[in-house]
Amino acid sequence: MAAKNGEAAAPHVELRRVTKRYGPVTAISDLSLAVDKGSFTALLGPSGCGKSTLLRMIAGLEPITAGQCFIDNLDVTDVPPAQRRIAMVFQSYALYPHMTVRQNIAFSLSVAGQPRKVQNERAQEVARILQLEPYLDRRPAELSGGQRQRVAIGRALVRKPEVFLFDEPLSNLDAKLRVQMRLELAKLHADLGTTMIYVTHDQTEAMTLADKIVVLDKGVISQVGSPLELYNAPANKFVAAFIGSPSMNFFPVDIAAINGRTASVVLPGGRTVEIDIATGAGARSAELGVRPEHLTVVDPKDPAATFAGAVAIIEHLGNSTILYVETAVGQLIVEGEGDLDAKSGQTVGLRLNQSHARLFGATGATL
Amino acid sequence: MSASVERGADLTTPLASRRLARLRRFDLVGLAVTLITLAAAVLWAFPLYWGLVTTFKPEYEIVRPGVQLWPEHFTLENYLHVLLQTKIGLWYVNSLITSGAVTIIVVMMSAGAGYAISQLDFPGRRFFWWMILASFMVPVSALIVNHFILMSQFRLINTLAGVVGPQLVYGPVTVIIYKQFFDSVPKDFREAAVMDGSSELQLLFRIYLPMNWGVTTALAIITFIGAWNQFLWPFLAISSEDKMNITVGITQVHDAFGVSYGRDLAVAMLAAMPVAVIYLIFQRRVTQAIMLSAGIKG
Repeated sequence: MAAKNGEAAAPHVELRRVTKRYGPVTAISDLSLAVDKGSFTALLGPSGCGKSTLLRMIAGLEPITAGQCFIDNLDVTDVPPAQRRIAMVFQSYALYPHMTVRQNIAFSLSVAGQPRKVQNERAQEVARILQLEPYLDRRPAELSGGQRQRVAIGRALVRKPEVFLFDEPLSNLDAKLRVQMRLELAKLHADLGTTMIYVTHDQTEAMTLADKIVVLDKGVISQVGSPLELYNAPANKFVAAFIGSPSMNFFPVDIAAINGRTASVVLPGGRTVEIDIATGAGARSAELGVRPEHLTVVDPKDPAATFAGAVAIIEHLGNSTILYVETAVGQLIVEGEGDLDAKSGQTVGLRLNQSHARLFGATGATL
Repeated sequence: MSASVERGADLTTPLASRRLARLRRFDLVGLAVTLITLAAAVLWAFPLYWGLVTTFKPEYEIVRPGVQLWPEHFTLENYLHVLLQTKIGLWYVNSLITSGAVTIIVVMMSAGAGYAISQLDFPGRRFFWWMILASFMVPVSALIVNHFILMSQFRLINTLAGVVGPQLVYGPVTVIIYKQFFDSVPKDFREAAVMDGSSELQLLFRIYLPMNWGVTTALAIITFIGAWNQFLWPFLAISSEDKMNITVGITQVHDAFGVSYGRDLAVAMLAAMPVAVIYLIFQRRVTQAIMLSAGIKG
């Protein structure tokens, strides 16, 4: 939680000890979260982790079982969604099929009884920002996926909300369009400077768009941090495994000795390496986590080779090469240069970049 | 290899001929079915044809023994009599008013009830739903006496409002169909509109109803046709000729000599005409509506 040093540092959206239960099932458990004004915060996690429930609670679409929700320091826990000055973009876009783009965008103004002239002006203004002007009189069925997505954003934009909520807005788009829309969203955030909260299960979206990522696991926050903090200093094995693609390699190791901030770790096969740690006094065994790019392919006879194994599968991605190597510690994923010369079945040595390796204790927490 | 090819060829020939034989057999079945349905269609349409032809015959030809498929002396006298000597114009207007009122009120009430049961959370929702389903089991004719007593207590007997009133509860099926359709509208539409500040009425009239216009038109058409064709209740509720529906008006077409088949049938044809026209114009919608009320989603 952000420290509260007077009014200026007060979070824009804040959840205080929020719990959500569906009958006997607890979806969110005693969760507190602060979102700063103007930030782009991503709620990231696998399906069923409670990220959409959390967003819907902020939106007011889901009643909060226990705890409070604040927007701009106002307790909005029992305030209806329309009065929270927030707007939401749904995964399905939820564009009204019987209305034109103009009517869809101006719907909230029309419901609020704004004069037709104001509705048209505002719709036109939003359409200009989102480059939707040529499509104002079309119906959603006549638009492409990307255009529909923009109309959905436009419908949120026209309300001039304090906070934008996005519920997996890009998941219905194809890969290329997703990248394009991602850029447009980033640009929109830069232009508007409005607080945005974005739910996704796609770590790439979260990493590229957000300045703060909240990783959720089974209804509790696993870690909150900037994309690079999460990548370089994961708080636990769950975050380490979830962030990064291809994902981190894990294998069990024994801890021989701990000298201050360094642990001497015995790898399977007998070799000892030194790993930096923050805590973990007394731990005898742990799991070592190594990202694929922190394993380097070397000659198997190279004395620096930590592991040796046969290449099972090789994937050439152009800018990089992914190797799946069968070793004594199990299958390790290795990311090498695009021009890496290796063949399936070939025996290779792997050198561990131990300064980037992380140790995880029995509970999964980083040592 | 050539042997296997030959064997393959051997195998395909009987297969092809078997398929051909099966096709032929299907053709025979198809022909038989066509003939049976054609016979059924003729059997069904003959009384209509007979009725229509009879209206163009003079009365003495009608009552003459024997089957006469075409009028010997073609006449429009029956139609002229009905149009000029009876109050058919007024009956048409009465039918139009009562059927129109029944249609509008039933559709609006059903949409509202269907929406409430489908989308709102209120105590007794399930009870109301079961009541509506249970009302299916009560035949309307069993309620006729109650309706009569109720309408007479309201002093609505012999008024058009009295004709309309009891017909409003004739169709629980429209509520059920609306509920089913509103149930199938994705939740996101509702939530998006709620976030935009829509009230429940705005949700119903601006989102749910326009998204289901097809259902509304289909239901409106069958409700209208049903109300137009009502006989028993309007017959019991109305005694003055000026307030009769066209269906009840048919009973009034007689002269000093008793029943005149030609005139009776002429007024029946005129009564059925608007319904037939509506059916022909909205054929697809009516079929859809019948499928809806039978539980098959169109």
